[in-house]
Amino acid sequence: MTAHIIPPLNPPLPFPDRAPLLRAEGLTRGFKGRGGLLGRGHEVLALRGVDFALARGEAVGVVGESGCGKSTLARVLLHLTPASAGRVLFDGQDLARLPRRQLRALRRRMQLVFQDPFASLDPRRSIGDQIADGILIHHLAAPAEAQARVADLLAQVGLDPAHAGRLPHEFSGGQRQRIAIARALSTDPDVLVADEPVSALDVSVQAQVVNLLKDLRTRLGLGLIFISHDLHVVRHLCDRVVVMYLGRVVEEAPAAALFAQPRHPYTQALLAATPSMHAAPGARAVLSGEMPSPANPPSGCAFRTRCARAQPACAEALPELLPAGPGRRLACPPALADLAHGAAHA
Amino acid sequence: MLAFALRRTGIALVLVWLVATLVFLVIHLIPGDPAELLLSQGGVAPDPAAVAELRERLGLDLPLIQQYFTYWVGLLHGNFGTSLQDDHPVAAEIALRLPRTLELIGGAAVLALAIGMPFGTAAALRVGGRLDRVASVIAGVALSVPVFVVGTLAILIFAQKLGWVSAGGYVPLAQNPGRHLALLLMPAGTIAVGLAAVVFRVTRSSVLEVLGRDHVRAAQARGVGPRLIILRHVLRNALSPVLTVVALHLGALLGGTVLVEYVFNWPGLSGYLVRSVEARDYPEVLGIVLAISILFVFLNLVVDLAYAALDPRVRHA
Amino acid sequence: MSASLASPRFHRLVLPGALLALVLLTVAAAPLLPLADPVKQQVSERLSTPSLGHLLGQDEYGRDVFSRIIWGGRVSLSVSILAAACAGLIGTLLGLVGGYFRGVVELMSVRLAEVVLCFPPMLLALLVVTLLGPGAVTLVLVLTILFTPGYARVAYAETLSARTLDYVTAQTALGATSARVLFRTVLPNIAPPLLVQFSLTVAAAMMLESGLSFLGLGVVPPSPSWGLMIRSARSVMEQAPLLLLWPCLALAGTVLLLNVVCDRLRDVMDPRGAAMGVIPGFLRRARSAALPQATTEPAPSLVRIDNLTLSLKTPAGPLNVVRGVSFGVAPGETVALVGESGSGKTLTALAVMGLLPPVVTPAGGSIRFSRRDGTVADLLHLPEGQMRRLRGNDLSIIFQDPSASLNPVHRCGKQVAEAIRAHGGGMTGEGSARAAKAKVVALFRRVGLPDPERRAGAFPHELSGGQKQRVMIAAAVANTPRLLIADEPTTALDVTVQAQILDLLADLKGESGSGRGQEGKDTEGKDTTGMGLLFVTHNLAVVRQIADKVVVMYAGEVVEEGPVAEVFARPRHPYTAALLASAPESEAEELTAIPGTVPSPAALPPGCRFAPRCGFATPACDSTPPASIEVAPGRIARCIRWMEVA
Repeated sequence: MTAHIIPPLNPPLPFPDRAPLLRAEGLTRGFKGRGGLLGRGHEVLALRGVDFALARGEAVGVVGESGCGKSTLARVLLHLTPASAGRVLFDGQDLARLPRRQLRALRRRMQLVFQDPFASLDPRRSIGDQIADGILIHHLAAPAEAQARVADLLAQVGLDPAHAGRLPHEFSGGQRQRIAIARALSTDPDVLVADEPVSALDVSVQAQVVNLLKDLRTRLGLGLIFISHDLHVVRHLCDRVVVMYLGRVVEEAPAAALFAQPRHPYTQALLAATPSMHAAPGARAVLSGEMPSPANPPSGCAFRTRCARAQPACAEALPELLPAGPGRRLACPPALADLAHGAAHA
Repeated sequence: MLAFALRRTGIALVLVWLVATLVFLVIHLIPGDPAELLLSQGGVAPDPAAVAELRERLGLDLPLIQQYFTYWVGLLHGNFGTSLQDDHPVAAEIALRLPRTLELIGGAAVLALAIGMPFGTAAALRVGGRLDRVASVIAGVALSVPVFVVGTLAILIFAQKLGWVSAGGYVPLAQNPGRHLALLLMPAGTIAVGLAAVVFRVTRSSVLEVLGRDHVRAAQARGVGPRLIILRHVLRNALSPVLTVVALHLGALLGGTVLVEYVFNWPGLSGYLVRSVEARDYPEVLGIVLAISILFVFLNLVVDLAYAALDPRVRHA
Repeated sequence: MSASLASPRFHRLVLPGALLALVLLTVAAAPLLPLADPVKQQVSERLSTPSLGHLLGQDEYGRDVFSRIIWGGRVSLSVSILAAACAGLIGTLLGLVGGYFRGVVELMSVRLAEVVLCFPPMLLALLVVTLLGPGAVTLVLVLTILFTPGYARVAYAETLSARTLDYVTAQTALGATSARVLFRTVLPNIAPPLLVQFSLTVAAAMMLESGLSFLGLGVVPPSPSWGLMIRSARSVMEQAPLLLLWPCLALAGTVLLLNVVCDRLRDVMDPRGAAMGVIPGFLRRARSAALPQATTEPAPSLVRIDNLTLSLKTPAGPLNVVRGVSFGVAPGETVALVGESGSGKTLTALAVMGLLPPVVTPAGGSIRFSRRDGTVADLLHLPEGQMRRLRGNDLSIIFQDPSASLNPVHRCGKQVAEAIRAHGGGMTGEGSARAAKAKVVALFRRVGLPDPERRAGAFPHELSGGQKQRVMIAAAVANTPRLLIADEPTTALDVTVQAQILDLLADLKGESGSGRGQEGKDTEGKDTTGMGLLFVTHNLAVVRQIADKVVVMYAGEVVEEGPVAEVFARPRHPYTAALLASAPESEAEELTAIPGTVPSPAALPPGCRFAPRCGFATPACDSTPPASIEVAPGRIARCIRWMEVA
């Protein structure tokens, strides 16, 4: 189905000294498109061959615009949506090949926080019950002790443990997001995947949740995959950043390096387009057009249709993600050529 | 649009095949010997000779595949079987009676839409007002009265007590158009009562829902006048759900004709069906059920296509 | 359950519910009641009128009608309820499993059940009756077969939407088994529509059962049944019309009760479905044009909002959600109105357009606007007809969600042309359509839509989000408005597209001021004709990019106003200062988070609305709301400690 995408195996780990906890190779995920005479069009690929790795205790940000596949990536990494091709290894175990029972047991170690705090809690059950779910499912505590654990978790996320009996609608958006985080922490996970956890919150509350995540990360040694369209938050929270465009990773680098020196033309455009409170208004390079539909991606480099540096060759081959400096990888032949040229001169 | 229409027609044809096959299988699906079952009356075991004869007549003694093949060859030649009672071909009777049933349904639909849509719209535009409250109560009652009760009471009041119309019957259009239409009015009106209530409710809630949509506010922000907003941005969009619900009620509508034709002595397809069921004339029942079901599938196809014509998103999907 | 037991919706359920319970109890207790034998014939007493011994009289065989009604109801209701319960059980299971597992399971469960829907229900019933012969068992079987697919469909659709809900996904992510997810999380959450479906099914089953009995193909005589009673009363309806009436009343009344209970139940379970009982603004009759004309204030250069108060109708009484808001927009100026959700910024903008939602009404203040012809009007008190002439003409607005703002069934060009044609533009008659079309294409080109001729003929769903917003902008600027309001116009868009739209707006504004020669400037060389832009947003960074002046709102009040550069450099209200500091742009290791949450308008702090979250709060802040203070020319802050801030 996707013969033209050959996933390079064993992607180089940016942190070779740290053991890879979660590792994905050549992830591809298609969704059934509509259309055609019989009502079944071709597949629309939300992910087109993504390699990903997370070291123990590392925080990786995944950024990109809507439709780039970042939310799908979050779900495929957790095997909530199975990959159409490629594989996800958690602590060396292929999630797709694990027996159901073992997969469920493994889920204890990887948890998810959603974007919309109003949709992520069951409206009919008390928040204490929902937080206790994880503890009871994995038998982490006797039912009698679960309540104490719930109270402890609520306190950890900065909520009053006395409120465990309340229903979700009695809480504000920010508080619900804390509850959702407490629920995710209930199984004592190694990795937390947060899918746009602050973008649905009030501006004045966002910083609270960002600080909470940062605090939990250092305190619990939690690995974090932080999906966001907000570059500023990612920069604040993450060690490493992965930039996605139309289902593929275009650039990957340590956070500081990426923001200081973006190399992919798309990353550069994304940074330029992000308004800043500190910069005075002025002329900035504005990217033309919009991301093409994933149902009909351009040949070769998907970004070439909007890229100022596009060359005829960009339309031919899918650019490979290649090493570009310490801990960095880049999928743009012209930019890579520049780098090589610069290195040769140095 | 063409691809959409072709696809829908394809699905409809598959459904027709499914329906026909199912109708064919019904007799084989029930436990026991169908011929024996058909001939048994009040627990008395039927005469074995009669059973054997019926088996042969219905072709039940042949292998299933061969029966199925013969069945389809017959269908494709327009052969819907012959009556057990008088050997009359079922297809001929259907051809005679189907137009009368269609006329009934058409009349009822026109009446229901003509009453339900304007009142539904008016009620939504003045939601909570007097018209809205009164009409909603009436619709609630109309929905709760079974169609044969409406028909029977209509005969009692309009035919027996007031003597305005005759209690029922049928005169061919060619023979006396005025009388034909007068006789059509009561049965069609009876079916229309419940349907109009449905149309009223859906129109009302659909218009209310569209009124609250952003694009209506946007049209208002452009300075478009109220009349144009209602026509172009509210009613046009509110039409699709009305159509959907009417389509969903097509089945009930076709069922309603069974009762109404019986009540008013309207010689349509459904009256024929009731008579066949009473006589347990199995081939006749199968033929009629098949004919009406195919009609049902195609009516749904028409609604689907109308739906696509109304909403550009559907035909591009 | 979203509605509490004390809600008025629940109260509306009590009476029909109680009546229905009474009916059910009566028929259930029929054997215990002192009723006459329903099948005992007394031919000598046939068709006798009501008497003490026979409350409703006797039928054509002299049987007691009252007793027959109750015993008949027992048969009808038990058949219907039994069938509805069987169908409910099977259908729910099929739908639940089919919707959750999809794929082959779906095909084998829901899709298979749906084959039944290919037949009109009455016909299928007749077909089965032909084969099995009439009787109560056949009826239950037939009705179960008929109503199972309906249930399966409802359960399937609900499960399908529930399984993608985040809280269901969260259960899977926690490691719960499928059975636990289905029965602990999905089933309780899809129960309300299934319950509604149950009462609906009982009513439908009764209709069908009585119909079959009426045809003589349902309940077998001499067992009483309402359908059968109507059938037999029909033959004697000339002599005894009352005999027909009783079963008709009983049947219709019970179905009506079931339907009413079902409707009310739906309202209780799903409040979204309940009508609001309010008439949209554009349908309201024009307000009395009692204009408070005697104002001594100088005419505003473009628009001046003074002391605007907006009130929200709630079940607990009116609630002022916007209080005492004052600010102005000058020609050629870009004013940003910033605030969080619930701050009242969008309502303020809608009040200027006269497009407030029906539940919000102005409770005080004025919005004075100087029209193109030089006259000044108070937009809060302008009759709807005059307001309409301003909308899309002198005054325009762009909304947040371009996908919802375009009517999906009309072509984009047609919708933009509406703005042109609504305001005449000197075009009438034959040529107007063509002229409007040419203007639309020119506008589309102007807002940067590629291939404008084709886009004009496109339906909204054929365009991307950014393109749709360009279409909305084209409609808004079609009549070169004096004031353009943009309500979060880029929030629904990606950041690279946001940058494009912000540039386009700046561009359009610049163009409106220049190119009009010297007559566009007053004596001081200030721009007097350029388009004013009121930009509503929650994003401070966007404010920094495009606005000249910023108005900060918190909990329905303006807390700070001033030139953008000054406010960003030196905020004078703790809220503004805290917002600026909490933005993740700062290099600090820990973000300065604002504690607490935005107060609900129903429970505002008595003093300063920000005091409970404020680092500068003193006891004085908690007692009385502070007044707006002009802290410098053109700078306003609503804080008693403004001098110490920042």
